[in-house]
Amino acid sequence: MIVCVAVVGHQNNPLYIQSFTEADDALKLHHIVHCSLDVVDERVNNPKKSGPTLNETFLGLLYPTENYKVYGYLTNTKVKFILVTTDLDVRDVDVRNFFRRFHAAYVDAVSNPFHVPGKKITSRTFAERVSNIVKSFGLSST
Amino acid sequence: MIGASKIKQYSNVLEKPLSKGKQEVSLSAFAFLFSELVQYNQTQVDNIAELERRLEDAGYAVGARCLELLCHREKVYHIIVKLCVMFMPFWLSQGNRRETRLLGILSFVHSTVWKVLFGKVADSLEKGTEHEDEYMISEKELLVNRFISIPKDMGTFNCGAFVAGIVRGVLDSAGFPAVVTAHFVPMEGQQRPRTTILIKFAEEVLRREARLG
Repeated sequence: MIVCVAVVGHQNNPLYIQSFTEADDALKLHHIVHCSLDVVDERVNNPKKSGPTLNETFLGLLYPTENYKVYGYLTNTKVKFILVTTDLDVRDVDVRNFFRRFHAAYVDAVSNPFHVPGKKITSRTFAERVSNIVKSFGLSST
Repeated sequence: MIGASKIKQYSNVLEKPLSKGKQEVSLSAFAFLFSELVQYNQTQVDNIAELERRLEDAGYAVGARCLELLCHREKVYHIIVKLCVMFMPFWLSQGNRRETRLLGILSFVHSTVWKVLFGKVADSLEKGTEHEDEYMISEKELLVNRFISIPKDMGTFNCGAFVAGIVRGVLDSAGFPAVVTAHFVPMEGQQRPRTTILIKFAEEVLRREARLG
């Protein structure tokens, strides 16, 4: 179950943070997202020098905490997508699919001529698409 | 018996399914839109430099979005991935890799961006001889300038400032801040001058490039 998705700009400014559970403290999720940015920077600056992992967009599992797993994805413009989930047995393929669809929704939201780059994403269509993607996460695997 | 499937005949043209559409826009439509953009900006400003700056800012917005879109949509098949595709289909890298080297991003702009925007790769990419940080992309005639003639009293104004803005937008979003301008370069033996986009990279880009070796 996904608890939180976040889009962070290239200067580590938050562009879109959305949590999908009422039970958990939103502040704690924001804190987790914030800490994962450090891991992203570390992965980007010290790449593992083995073929396809260099300049790859999908960063994989960033770090597991006690209840959550955090996945990261980096686009060409240094915009980062962070995914926080409570599932214990998440397949790699599912997460990649999720990020692919999320990237599509993000590109559509940014292509809006009224969107100011660097400001928060306020499009309602984007929010709806994201909640659709989140709902269908993991359902196709069963 | 294995029969060939019959092609479905639609009695009514309204029942035909919609096609996906061509991925192109007609040149005349774009030329009209661009001329209106230039005219609108001309009424808002007092001098040529301001007009150029406005066109460049318009192009910057296009360039930034263009980079996001291209990196998401363009499928670039690398040789390593071709082998992996046979064994591990979910390793297929969709989209371009993030460019970290100067030549990488320049050839990306010169080929991919030009091909998507104008339907062909740019004519040439050269390194400036006088300064280390200057590169030039030349084009015999920019698509945006095709239906535009500059009046004599406008001097060296070039509507290619829009394209210069696009290039600046792409470079800036990719992490290579630069100053990009468009110039007319007269060629001997040809009536119309060639257009050159001059790219001057910022200090930090050169330092980073030197550090990467």
